[in-house]
Amino acid sequence: MAERISHTRLGDGQTLPPPRQQSGFLLALRQSFFNGWVSSIITLALLTMLAMTLPGLWSWAISDAIWSTQDSSVCRAASGACWAVIGEKHRVILFGTYPYDEHWRGALVVALVTGLAVLSAIPRFWSSALFVFWGLTTVLVTILMFGGVFGLPYVGTNKWGGLPLTMIVFMTSVVLGLPLAVVLALGRRSHMPVIRAVCVGIIEVVRGLPLISVLFMMIIILPLFLPTDLTIDKLLRALIGMVIFFAAYAAEVVRGGLQAIPTGQYDAAKALGLSYWPAMIKIILPQALRIVIPALMNDIIRAFKNTTFVSIIGIFDVLGATKASMRDVDWVRYSTEAYIFVALLFFVYCFAMSRYSQFIEKRLDSERER
Amino acid sequence: MTQALVQIDNLQKWYGDFHALRDVTLHVGAGEKVVICGPSGSGKSSLVRCINHLEPFQGGSINVAGVALKPTGTAIRDIRTLSSMVFQQFNLFPHLSVLDNLTLGPIYAMRKTADEAKAHAMQLLDRVRVADQADKYPGQLSGGQQQRVAIARALITDPQLLLFDEPTSSLDPEMVHEVLDVMIDLAQEGVTMVVVTHEMGFARAVGDLVVFMDAGEIVESAPPEQFFSAPASDRTQQFLAKLDLSV
Ligand SMILES: Nc1ncnc2c1ncn2[C@@H]1O[C@H](COP(=O)(O)OP(=O)(O)O)[C@@H](O)[C@H]1O
Ligand SMILES: [Mg+2]
Repeated sequence: MAERISHTRLGDGQTLPPPRQQSGFLLALRQSFFNGWVSSIITLALLTMLAMTLPGLWSWAISDAIWSTQDSSVCRAASGACWAVIGEKHRVILFGTYPYDEHWRGALVVALVTGLAVLSAIPRFWSSALFVFWGLTTVLVTILMFGGVFGLPYVGTNKWGGLPLTMIVFMTSVVLGLPLAVVLALGRRSHMPVIRAVCVGIIEVVRGLPLISVLFMMIIILPLFLPTDLTIDKLLRALIGMVIFFAAYAAEVVRGGLQAIPTGQYDAAKALGLSYWPAMIKIILPQALRIVIPALMNDIIRAFKNTTFVSIIGIFDVLGATKASMRDVDWVRYSTEAYIFVALLFFVYCFAMSRYSQFIEKRLDSERER
Repeated sequence: MTQALVQIDNLQKWYGDFHALRDVTLHVGAGEKVVICGPSGSGKSSLVRCINHLEPFQGGSINVAGVALKPTGTAIRDIRTLSSMVFQQFNLFPHLSVLDNLTLGPIYAMRKTADEAKAHAMQLLDRVRVADQADKYPGQLSGGQQQRVAIARALITDPQLLLFDEPTSSLDPEMVHEVLDVMIDLAQEGVTMVVVTHEMGFARAVGDLVVFMDAGEIVESAPPEQFFSAPASDRTQQFLAKLDLSV
């Protein structure tokens, strides 16, 4: 008879301490930067490059730089960067051609919009009250920018510019563009052929065009279709273009979310007797939008950078205003410094949004696991 | 002659070219329980979905409590108080609490006040024995609990007819009974039920009529004793033989 090989030994139930883990700064350093020879070579190459560029950068940007002066010849005498140009020109960069004495109004607009955007981003504050606040802010921003009431001098949109204008273009694109995107996405899935065709048409045409040509169409072609005595403000026309452009892209993102919702959810909604809009608003959209928030954040960040395109049709966003401010012959040599300043401004906003989108993605993931 | 609560006559349904329901005639009396069984793809879901107005149909007629359903599947709300449905995959709304899952229909489809809806919902959750889970989200509940919530949600419109489409098929075995018990309670309270299921114990306990479907048609129907002891058709016998193996 063959001997049985399968056997076991009963456990003795001891609790053992976990194995000691190596740690420490040097070990971490070695693992991150000198983990094998490829990694070591890359690290050394990068260190050499830094060693070659950093000293020059340091002396240009820091040690030889002029930080403040009202006299551009001081800068010309120095070999480093002329950061003084920002101190000299920051009002024009930030507010464009908006009347100098009224700049506080623009600053207030930027503070209001940024503050409320930050509040709206915090999940704890998510409630319908936010809609009321956004409504109020819109009214406030309109009053502040236009004036003409409460003793504020009137300022036409042709004088608007700089960061407040960038904010207005960005917020309008997103705040009006998102609902339009939802409508377009729902329309694209509609059972009614006419509605579907119109929505598909808008989405595909706009996605097939560069933003610049959408803006030019709004400025040049739109008036050809309208009665001659009806002139629409140039900024308003640009805003319409920006909203439609944002919505066309976001609509495809939203559609992806709608497709991810199981048909059982539609069945259950129907079985409860909910008609189309209540079913969409209460059941389908909350789930679909939650899925696509990270993807939408991408579009939203892009919308912020897309605001710079309006300068092409003669509306001075913060980048356009910077360019205009550099027409001053005394300072034109230092436009690099001015553009670096604007680039930092954009980076701060975009980086914040990017980090936020990572945060919200993690949060939504953990919610889904619940 | 007393009218049946559900009268399906010569029902025909196609998915494109595929003839899914072939001349189905089925009458269900008020308070009676009909159990539908049959192999996968035989058209059981299609039939109950047609009764619940979730699918259009192309021939014949469906009357529920004297109301003729439109073949196109429009005017859903009119029949909402007539029938309700419990799905195989529960189809609870994952982003809403258990309580909100129940109150949504009454508030948005039946124009009840939030307080009314909530009181009714709590009463129903108590009836299916999950009242203590009212504030949780569906994802935090076991499958058996979720399906019982789904049953409560189906009851909230005070339907005259309850439809079940394989309510225990996606449950772990140890949870099948808690759901069947709730269904048996409902049956004994006199609710009219059409139940697609392969739980033959349920059919024996409360069924008035067992219907066997195959390839889109009703092959056999009989009271449970007769259906199980002396199935008439070969196809039924084969089907039952396979069921006995797997149970
Ligand atoms: N939406 C649909 N489109 C096309 N074919 C379908 C659809 N739903 C069901 N069918 C087909 O109809 C037949 C019956 O399906 P169903 O009613 O779900 O059967 P059962 O519930 O008995 O398994 C199957 O062959 C299935 O493939
Ligand atoms: Mg089925």
